[in-house]
Amino acid sequence: MSETFAALADALTAEYAAIWAYGPIGVRLSDAERKAAVAAEAAHRARRDALVMQLSTGGGTVPPDRAGYALPFPVTDRASALRLAVQVEERTAAFWRAALPVSTGADRDRALAALVEYAVRATRWRRSAGSTPLTVPFPGRPA
Amino acid sequence: MVLTCPVAMGRTNRQDESSQLPRRAVLRAGALLALGGAAAPLTGCGLFDRDEEPPQPDPLAPLLDESLRLAAGLRAAATVHPDLAARLVPLAESHEAHAAELARLTGVTTASATPTASPSGPPPGDQSAVLAALRQSERAGRESAIQACSAAPAERAALLGSVAAARATHLEALR
Repeated sequence: MSETFAALADALTAEYAAIWAYGPIGVRLSDAERKAAVAAEAAHRARRDALVMQLSTGGGTVPPDRAGYALPFPVTDRASALRLAVQVEERTAAFWRAALPVSTGADRDRALAALVEYAVRATRWRRSAGSTPLTVPFPGRPA
Repeated sequence: MVLTCPVAMGRTNRQDESSQLPRRAVLRAGALLALGGAAAPLTGCGLFDRDEEPPQPDPLAPLLDESLRLAAGLRAAATVHPDLAARLVPLAESHEAHAAELARLTGVTTASATPTASPSGPPPGDQSAVLAALRQSERAGRESAIQACSAAPAERAALLGSVAAARATHLEALR
């Protein structure tokens, strides 16, 4: 299994978890925020589908989705939903960042687009949550 | 090799400083050798020739410059509009953190990493004009970081990806 394949397979498992997490997040939000959650979930679904397609044609074993994922904390209200949304975007961003050094060309560009997009979504969720600062110096970098 | 050079250098300098020069020259020679590494062939005293070509700048030097310029622009705007400072200063600090990492990666000292073209001051106008100008700078910065990441060798790709993503989030934070 190539390094690129392994990194993209990891990114796929992160996308599965992100899609799952937006379920409990969405029900705690309303109006514009729920719309934003729907759009964010759609972005994760699109990347999941593209990854499944790409990894399947690569001939390796595509990691399967799971029935459920453990949340890092209970999502009981709007505040905890927004906090989880920030975390989901930060974590998926980190997986795409990890794919950068082991990819080139179009793979590199796709990984970068995902990192940039999810970092921006994390910032938007921080603004919804009223948390400051809105940004981190090195999005996706392990703490 | 090092020991023969100070003599040659000292001879070309003014007599009244001659007692100081060999020592300084030795120190300088040591520093140059330490910096030179495997990058350039060290052929005796040729190292000190005046017509020696300067080392090529790192391809990331413009990006480092840009980080410092973006930071300076944000800090200047925060000075003129203090009520924006809480928003602008953390962004400036991020650019400065990028500059420090880029300097480390490209092997330049932070002292020499000063912007080649310092900003002429904060963007003019009222707050919304200032924010629009800052967004424009961040947008251009995001694009140059994306290009740099796209073209970078593996060991630089992750940092450049974070720089591009950070600049994109700044654009969002300035809305």
